[in-house]
Amino acid sequence: MTRFIWFVSFISFLWLKGTGIETNQTNQINQTNKIDQTDQINMTFKTWIKTITFYEILVGMKVTMSHLLHYRPITLQYPHEKRTLPDNYRGMLALLRYDDGTEKCVGCDLCEAACPSRVIRVVSAEVPGEPTKRYAKEYYMDMTRCLFCGMCVDACPVDALGMTREYEWAVYDKRQLGLNKEQLLAIGDRSFPVREKQLELQHPNVAFFNVAFKHLPQKPS
Amino acid sequence: MTELSLRLAVSLAQILAEMGIVIVTIATMTYFERKVLGWMQDRMGPMEVGPYGILQPVADGIKLFFKEDIVPAGANKAMFALAPMLTMVVSMIGFAVIPFGSNMTMDIFGITIKPFVVADINIGILYILAIASIGAYGIILGGWASNSKYSLLGGLRAAAQVISYELNVGLAIVGVLLLAGSLSLVEITEAQAGGFWHWFIWGARPDGFFPIHTQIFAFVVFIISAVAETNRIPFDLPEAESELVAGFFTEYSGMRFAFFVSAEYASMTLVSCVAASLFLGGWNAPYPGTIFEYVGLEQLAWVEHIAWFACKVYFFLFLFVWIRATLPRLRYDQLMRFGWKVMLPIALANIVVTAITVYFFPRG
Repeated sequence: MTRFIWFVSFISFLWLKGTGIETNQTNQINQTNKIDQTDQINMTFKTWIKTITFYEILVGMKVTMSHLLHYRPITLQYPHEKRTLPDNYRGMLALLRYDDGTEKCVGCDLCEAACPSRVIRVVSAEVPGEPTKRYAKEYYMDMTRCLFCGMCVDACPVDALGMTREYEWAVYDKRQLGLNKEQLLAIGDRSFPVREKQLELQHPNVAFFNVAFKHLPQKPS
Repeated sequence: MTELSLRLAVSLAQILAEMGIVIVTIATMTYFERKVLGWMQDRMGPMEVGPYGILQPVADGIKLFFKEDIVPAGANKAMFALAPMLTMVVSMIGFAVIPFGSNMTMDIFGITIKPFVVADINIGILYILAIASIGAYGIILGGWASNSKYSLLGGLRAAAQVISYELNVGLAIVGVLLLAGSLSLVEITEAQAGGFWHWFIWGARPDGFFPIHTQIFAFVVFIISAVAETNRIPFDLPEAESELVAGFFTEYSGMRFAFFVSAEYASMTLVSCVAASLFLGGWNAPYPGTIFEYVGLEQLAWVEHIAWFACKVYFFLFLFVWIRATLPRLRYDQLMRFGWKVMLPIALANIVVTAITVYFFPRG
């Protein structure tokens, strides 16, 4: 037993010499604050015991072990399980149609103007035979640049653009993400099966003017 | 002539069996480590290949086998090829002297062999130390031959670290050697027979139960130095991912990369086997004798011995993974200071005290 105690004290002496922190601390404390001397010595003894028993490491190992025993993974097995999307999720963009199958888009170019990253390119044209009506002859979206801010959808006066809840659009070739009008309409068709009804008297350009008048500066009352 | 060839065949069969066990252990460890690490970090670990990802080691093996083998421009091709082989071979042949089970003999075709130890040489532990030192050469060569600054830095770090901590491993073992009076792992294990308190971590004398020759300090030093020597977290400076990409095997790919990784796991297993043999009684059960002997099945005692040995080895392997999940990496000066100013004095003091107590209270 004496051997054991002698051994422990010898080891601790070496350890203290090796670390060289505790002794210096004790000296400083003795010089500055003599009232708390015993307390401080007890504290250093406690910290010293903690050092030689690897107390802090054991505390950490207890934490990891408790996580192993109370195994509650936060992993979502993605292709097999999917997140519930929020209601206002902004996914893939799409062009919409009215219930009779006509395109909503009037080719006004406002989405192109609103887009901060120049995703959209619209080629507008007159509807043949109806000089007051216009439509998008060509409509391109480069989805590699889209940041899904939804400003084009906000800008659209006739609600011709919509954001779907699709997000699995990983492709092997970047060029597959440059979408044309047919592809965008197809996305809209499969994502919004219930279409808006086209009103009888609604001229597409009327909606445009309505929006314009709504944003007129109001007279201060 | 026929006897010689037969002896050769039997030895080769034994070596193949043991290699198979080691390789299966490595494959299991890659899966086990990823799984346990995941569970400890609230993840799942591999889940895709097979039920609960159980076939992940097979998939990894196939993938690594068919990967392109790239030799970087400006690399020393011979050395680049030599390094992974050296590391792998060295970490595998250390198992030759490990006694997996009881020291029984067996007659096959008139040749007497020891089935649970390939080579019972009388300097077993010295052999393992020597072989483990060669392992550092593989790492340094790999780091130097890659012609990459990250690899070179990793190799240099490995050199400094392995030299520092090998010293502590060697000194921590000396206490055990004083108690056992032998360098053979078989004899060291047999000297710890008789139950829990007779393991060298407690070191009770064969006639008593008072842990008078305790080697627990040497045990702690050995385990810490073993973690450092196998380049595991928190001592993984040679392959520090956040600093050196992958350290000494940054430029390796395919099977050569696989060799380095499996060499790491093999040396982990080897170190666990050595720790179990030296400090935790090897294949001895924590109670005197075996249960199979009590119930009258002496011929099956070896099963229990092997089971206990496997338990102890897997305890150490789990400990390695556990430490990896818990601790961050040491800084380089902390590593060196800890090795030379903390571990080394303790190991030396342990030798002095053990020598004195063994002199005054001799064993048996």
